Amino acid sequence: MPSWLLDRIESYGELPCIFYQDKSYSYKELTEEIKNNISFLEKNQIKKEETVAILGDYAFKTIALFFALFENKNIIVPITSKAQIEIEERINEAYVETIIKYDKEQLICKKLTTNKPKHEFLVSLNQKNHSGLILFSSGSTGKPKAMLQDLDILTEVFQDRTKRTSNMLVFLMFDHIGGLNTLFNALSMGASITIPENRKADYICALIEKHKVNLLPASPTFLNLLLISEAHNKYDLSSLKVITYGTEVMPESLLKRLKNTLPRVKLIQTFGTSETGITKVTSQSSENTFIKIDDPNTEYKIVEGELWLKSKTRMIGYLNHEMDNVTDDGWYKTGDLVETAENGFIKIIGRVKEVINVGGEKVLPAEVESILLQIPQISDCMVYGERNPITGQIVVADLVLKDGVESGKIKKEVRNFCKEKMDTYKIPVKINVVDKTNFSERFKKIRRKT
Amino acid sequence: MRNEIIKIVFETIQELNEDLENENLKNPTEETKLYGINGNLKSIDLVTLVSDIETKISEKFNKEIILADEKAMSQERSPFLSVKSLADYIEKLLNEG
Repeated sequence: MPSWLLDRIESYGELPCIFYQDKSYSYKELTEEIKNNISFLEKNQIKKEETVAILGDYAFKTIALFFALFENKNIIVPITSKAQIEIEERINEAYVETIIKYDKEQLICKKLTTNKPKHEFLVSLNQKNHSGLILFSSGSTGKPKAMLQDLDILTEVFQDRTKRTSNMLVFLMFDHIGGLNTLFNALSMGASITIPENRKADYICALIEKHKVNLLPASPTFLNLLLISEAHNKYDLSSLKVITYGTEVMPESLLKRLKNTLPRVKLIQTFGTSETGITKVTSQSSENTFIKIDDPNTEYKIVEGELWLKSKTRMIGYLNHEMDNVTDDGWYKTGDLVETAENGFIKIIGRVKEVINVGGEKVLPAEVESILLQIPQISDCMVYGERNPITGQIVVADLVLKDGVESGKIKKEVRNFCKEKMDTYKIPVKINVVDKTNFSERFKKIRRKT
Repeated sequence: MRNEIIKIVFETIQELNEDLENENLKNPTEETKLYGINGNLKSIDLVTLVSDIETKISEKFNKEIILADEKAMSQERSPFLSVKSLADYIEKLLNEG
């Protein structure tokens, strides 16, 4: 019995589904490819319930494989890394039994022999006859956590989507909840997706023009790079109606610049965690970062400034880590700090772990970054704490300067600018001029901790 | 070397004082109190001063030094008491190894 999702995909027939590498594929072609892949799984004797890693980023074939594995009730581990050690680690941590590698347009299947007994969470999912998904946390602090999701439940929330014509760019990768959310969302409503081959601003803008992309999901770090590159002046972006942003705090000053540069585009915040799935939120307006959580599947509360979520789509558990951020009664502590406003709106202001403590005073990196980004000489920045024996920690800023700006004077200029706009203890004590801020492949800032 | 160190310390104090506008720091001498009893600086100002001096000293003498670390804090007398004690400490670090 095919799942509702496969039926849905099949029902969209000749509608365009995927734009990838100058080719366009219809829903019908995707359906056929999924069915071919189901036979491929059979031929390779991949039993249902097996844990299977997909090595490779988004491509027509890997998407078809993903849904074939979903139909087959497998537990899927998407791995986009190219680093051999990291791949091996993930294969081990996720109890992978079979690897399917996408290489030169071919799928290559490799069975692994392992003596490791199956993790109880995997067994329980198998017993329910549900498919699963294992994602890894970005691991900017410590070892990446392997989290198991019930994929049947995770996808079920998309069942009520109705048909809509739209073209969405999948910005986040295959191994990220945000990227998968875009994929499920698009396919459940018959929209098309455009798959980029890299995440350079110029190339992304060219793709938007070429495929008339309507929706661009991206991170603030990327959107800032896009504005700096001025690629938006080079290409026709008039098809773009919505930019959704998430994964990190949006600096208010950047949001303003985006609004000024792309006045016709709606700017909407998305919110989710790999642990709880995507939460439906409403942005108050394109001009601020206030959101309201209005998701029938999610309850929330704020405990000492931290957002806690309880959702239907929450993970079953970590396979390689203690569940120390989940309470006994099922609340997930997101690690996100929020501020509350009127009428149930909240604003995400930073991560608990990234708060800088300067002699007992708390500093939020994103707040300082938002002000630094207003300085005309600065094109990008990252703020973090560094240990200091006098005040415990000090505020440090890495700055990327615009072309032609002299680095010698910037410290003075930053201080002068900041002293009007923030308390003394928030002003960066140390300033490093860098070529590029430290952000991940997912265009998310990695604030160093020392 | 001593004179150059003193010059950098004075200069950095005066720069910082453009914001602080503290009478006692306008024309610093070796005796000018920095941090501690009767000190003229709050801890966050001291941190800023020390960080700026570190950068300038490292540039001038082509040698990386760290003024604010556990070693400095565990000195019998704090190097941050006065201009003199700070200059002494910088000199000591520059002469080491």
